[in-house]
Amino acid sequence: MNKLWLVAKNTYLQRIRSSTFLLLTFGIPLIMIVAGAIPILTELRAEIPAVGYVDQTGKMGIVERIEFEDEVLSLKPYPDGEAGLAGLENGEIGGLLILPADYFEGGSPQYQAGKEPSEKLTEAMEEAIRTGLLSGAPAWQIERLEDPANFTYAAQSTGKQVSEGPAVIIRVAIPVFFAMVFVLTIFTGANQMGSVMVQEKDQRAMEMVITSISPRELVAGKVMGMTLLSMTQVAVWILGAGTAVFLFFREDLIGHALSVPWNALLWAGLLCVPGYFFFALVGAGLGVIAGDVTQARQLAGMLGFLGMGPLYFMGIIVNAVDGPLAVGLTLFPFTAPTIGLFRMALTEVPTWQLLVSVLILVGSLLLSIWLVARVFRATMLLYGQKLKPAEIMQAISQSGLSAAAEGKEN
Amino acid sequence: MSENNVYLKIEDVSKSFGEVQAVRGVSFQVHAGEIFGLLGPNGAGKTTLIRSALDIIKPTSGKIEILGGAMTEEKKGRIGYLPEERGLYDDMTLWDTLIYLGRLKGLTAKTAQERSEKYLQELDLWEARERKIQALSRGMTQKAQFIAGVMHEPDLIIIDEPFSGLDPVNTRLIKQLLYRMRDRGAGIIMSTHQMVQVEEMCSRILLINQGEGVLYGKLDEIRSRFTSNTVEVDMDGEIDAVQGVVQLEPRNGGYHMVLGEGVRAEDVLQRLVSNPDVTVERYERVEISLDDIFVQVVGGEVLNNAEEEAV
Repeated sequence: MNKLWLVAKNTYLQRIRSSTFLLLTFGIPLIMIVAGAIPILTELRAEIPAVGYVDQTGKMGIVERIEFEDEVLSLKPYPDGEAGLAGLENGEIGGLLILPADYFEGGSPQYQAGKEPSEKLTEAMEEAIRTGLLSGAPAWQIERLEDPANFTYAAQSTGKQVSEGPAVIIRVAIPVFFAMVFVLTIFTGANQMGSVMVQEKDQRAMEMVITSISPRELVAGKVMGMTLLSMTQVAVWILGAGTAVFLFFREDLIGHALSVPWNALLWAGLLCVPGYFFFALVGAGLGVIAGDVTQARQLAGMLGFLGMGPLYFMGIIVNAVDGPLAVGLTLFPFTAPTIGLFRMALTEVPTWQLLVSVLILVGSLLLSIWLVARVFRATMLLYGQKLKPAEIMQAISQSGLSAAAEGKEN
Repeated sequence: MSENNVYLKIEDVSKSFGEVQAVRGVSFQVHAGEIFGLLGPNGAGKTTLIRSALDIIKPTSGKIEILGGAMTEEKKGRIGYLPEERGLYDDMTLWDTLIYLGRLKGLTAKTAQERSEKYLQELDLWEARERKIQALSRGMTQKAQFIAGVMHEPDLIIIDEPFSGLDPVNTRLIKQLLYRMRDRGAGIIMSTHQMVQVEEMCSRILLINQGEGVLYGKLDEIRSRFTSNTVEVDMDGEIDAVQGVVQLEPRNGGYHMVLGEGVRAEDVLQRLVSNPDVTVERYERVEISLDDIFVQVVGGEVLNNAEEEAV
């Protein structure tokens, strides 16, 4: 075990310093944060102009001022559109809001200005319409009607209560988030296992290393090291995502009773951890049978396709979330983590399905450990040779180097 | 030699790969405190034997005892191995590489550091310790790999061509280290094609050819089994031919003579002495070298194989 950790630590330390890892780990969240921050920063910098309005319904009271998020929207009523446009042209106002006569029949208000209204201005104008139409009503009433109902749904079968708003978003987002993180770690971590194994062989240190450690420990140590690397990556991403959510949405979350979705977290752990190890081991196995890094990457691409596979079925899954395809893919080890978690976001997945899924996943994991270690032991000294299917079968059925390897080495 | 001193015991070991029989019924022992030469032409089966001994591959038949029994994980820490296939982790520094490989051999972090420093100093690599392996010269990498193979000061050391790529100064440094380890009581198996090094360093050898052991035992005893058919003669006077001499070559003021098969050196000397035109000052049988023995034993077959391949 000690040697296994030495291999894991060495693999981890070697990889964590690589530019690829640093770019993927910090670059992706940075790009996402920057992409997310640009519209927010634009919004923050947007000024709220004085807005004129024309009430063609005749139902609005006079509104001259709206206080909104520490800013003030000044309003000026105009008798008709012509006067309003004149005010816009001569600079009295920065924009003109027209509430059409058929507003109550579904007609859309119009906003005329030099540029599109910011989100903040749009919300301020909505507030102005609400205030104008409820002219005379007390302030508390107007305030309550801003968001008149925050429903709590109680499931008839289970009695489980789910609140609307951020709580629902979190309930849906957590499994989806973990499913997405899982797919990403397959690409950035497990998919790299093949290259790691090829490089281990290419460095030609293998013969020395395997006289110190068993092939199984070596493979397991490599997988463990790459897993720790992926966990570091995920931790950075979660930290980044959490910080971004806190920075950008804290005001939306305040005041809502949020509960940690322990159930989703539990199943995410039970599905994703063995799922990751399974992908990593299959990746390692593909690296063992690949002749060089290029071939290992090609094979890893196929593995990545399996990891991404569930996304191609999402349309069908969403439409028949408890259908046979959805259940089948929940039980299939390559798609179990992603589909299982996606389904959890959409429906109440029966516990037996999730349990069977975890059991199949763990069984597949144990089988892959045995297979990969066996093929690795039999072929670890074959440098730069891609294994043919017959050779793979031979390696699985018997231990020891192939004749080709020995003939070359003696 | 007591059983306790036998560090490696190979008994009637064979290994086949499909139709190819790489090793056939080879037996030998390696003792504590000796340097044992494992010799043979390319493809003879040396690497298969070494890998079998190290449990990298399983023999088809026969028995292998290493350090008193079957290979175990614990014993791996008592064995040092420098394979023919050279390589270390290119992206790692020399220092990190040695610490990692030393720790895999069971050294504590502190001991691994101490030993790395000791051997790096001794093999003149200390200044290069922070350099990446890929930035080291071939000779430096060779020394680094040697250190990685022996830094845990094992009881049994198996080294394959330890001097290839080394200049005379570094060759001497490695030799001194090997002698020191032998004197400490380690059993050392040296597989090499450099017969001069074997003659200088090894007390016993095994010569294998086409998977079979063809010569095994003490070097002196093996040498005594082969009589030289070459003599060197210093004399006054010149000769064109001597009965029984198949090759006559003037050399360093004298003659280098290769005797025909079955010809006794004493008879040739008698003929020279009885020749009134010459005065023999020195007549000496040239001691047969291991190189000559190697060529005699396997040379013909190797040449024949080469000719067959050429055809």
